Amino acid sequence: MKKSAIALAIALGTISFNSAAEIRINGFASIIGGQTLDSDDTLFGYDNDFDMENRSLFALQLAADLQDNLSATAQIVGRGANDFDAEFEWAYLTYTISDSAQISAGKMRIPFYRYSDFLDVGYAYRWIKPPQSVYNLSFSTYNGLSYIHNATLGQWDSTVQFALGSVDDDIIAITYSDEAELNNTVGANWTLSRDWFSMRMAYFATEASISAANSPELSGLLAGLAGYGLTQQAEDLAVEKDDAYFAAFGISIDYNDVLFDAEFTQFEVDDSILAKQQQYYASVGYRMDEWTVHLTYEHNKDKNANDEFNSVPLTITAPNGVTIPVTTDPTNPNAPYLQTLVNGALSDARAESETWSVGARYDFHPSAAFKVELNQFDNQLTDQKVELLSFGIDLVF
Amino acid sequence: MIKKIITLGLLLSSQIALADIAVIVNTANNTSVDEAVIKKLYLGKSKSFADGSSANPVNQDGNATFDEFNDKVIGKSSSQLNAHWSKLVFTGKGTPPKKLANDQAIIEFVSKNADAIGYIDASKVTDAVKVVGKY
Repeated sequence: MKKSAIALAIALGTISFNSAAEIRINGFASIIGGQTLDSDDTLFGYDNDFDMENRSLFALQLAADLQDNLSATAQIVGRGANDFDAEFEWAYLTYTISDSAQISAGKMRIPFYRYSDFLDVGYAYRWIKPPQSVYNLSFSTYNGLSYIHNATLGQWDSTVQFALGSVDDDIIAITYSDEAELNNTVGANWTLSRDWFSMRMAYFATEASISAANSPELSGLLAGLAGYGLTQQAEDLAVEKDDAYFAAFGISIDYNDVLFDAEFTQFEVDDSILAKQQQYYASVGYRMDEWTVHLTYEHNKDKNANDEFNSVPLTITAPNGVTIPVTTDPTNPNAPYLQTLVNGALSDARAESETWSVGARYDFHPSAAFKVELNQFDNQLTDQKVELLSFGIDLVF
Repeated sequence: MIKKIITLGLLLSSQIALADIAVIVNTANNTSVDEAVIKKLYLGKSKSFADGSSANPVNQDGNATFDEFNDKVIGKSSSQLNAHWSKLVFTGKGTPPKKLANDQAIIEFVSKNADAIGYIDASKVTDAVKVVGKY
């Protein structure tokens, strides 16, 4: 009896919660298949065997309008690359301060790029995925606060977003999975648009720590340097509470049926093995009723600055005046110098690539689009070219 | 010559097939509502009328009037409009206007809500609402 009374109370409670809040359910999905065109080639998680999982995803969004300008939103995403395990990608509360300002708190997308906010919503853009040379960071959400302010400046619409928070995630950095923390992440982006033209700027600063634990090579070097008392050199290599920044600039044009998008981004973690990264893309598109065709060029360059090299001395002088070689094994005269190994690690972080993509989008239904795309990735350091063909359907509901 | 007449005939008939769209507000609403204001309200770029009072736009539910309004006033296809709203909905930046089934439902909603704005087939306008533009 007592039990059923509690159950009833809970049921009543639930009912009253529901009647107070209007809940909206929306969703989006992408079913994408693809494969590289040559037998040993891999690109963006695809190989020469046809795959329909890698970029496919299914998402549901629940938004509840509570009273007094408060709303709660959760987006649950299941990715094929992750066996469609459903995960909360976004989960946040929003307080609408006025018609032009809102503040949100919770787990949200880091607004680095123009397409960051709707990265997973393939229906919102013409490519199968936004240009990967630029959209290459392996983490995309943070926990914190976001403040958005909209204004009209003469003929221009202005949107400013401030973000503050932290990232605690396993990311691709030194190896394919490294424990990372980005603390005190703070930044802003500003979008100005007028009729068919819009431009966007973004700048973020953070304090990055990325564990070297999964890289025996880097852990070994750090231990070796520490063994010689070269703590400064070890700190210059490790990613431990290092200042990092991200900067981006982009423009977007949608004039009659001609589309143009370009973004330039730069990312650097100071005093670390990680190379400074500079990327950009430029993309043109043309809309013909239900069809959109597009051509995109991307460029990526990762490089450590020259003054980071040769910072490790070849020998050190012990307190007793004896000269000791700084090698992996001071008792073995043939052991490699740590300077050589550190220089090697710094230059291994170098990368340079170009990607050309051509594709088409066909809006065969008001809420669904068919896309096909061919990417050619050219590794300019090895002169190796990889082609990927992919196609699929993006939808919203 | 015959070809020309046929073309002209087709042009005329396609003109006739498209009824005018009337954008309507509550009779008590005295703010000026031009095309730019309508566009901003229906694209979620603004939530208020020119005088700063809040606006509550309503849409037709995917019928011919809806398509015509989007084409003539908003200047976007239904796919483009869907793509536009998906950028706002899935980022918590906006919610598309509520949908009502037909002209009658829209007239009723607009006549009862001082902050409402809607659009209907121009031939269906009644005294219960005020027309602020025909397209």
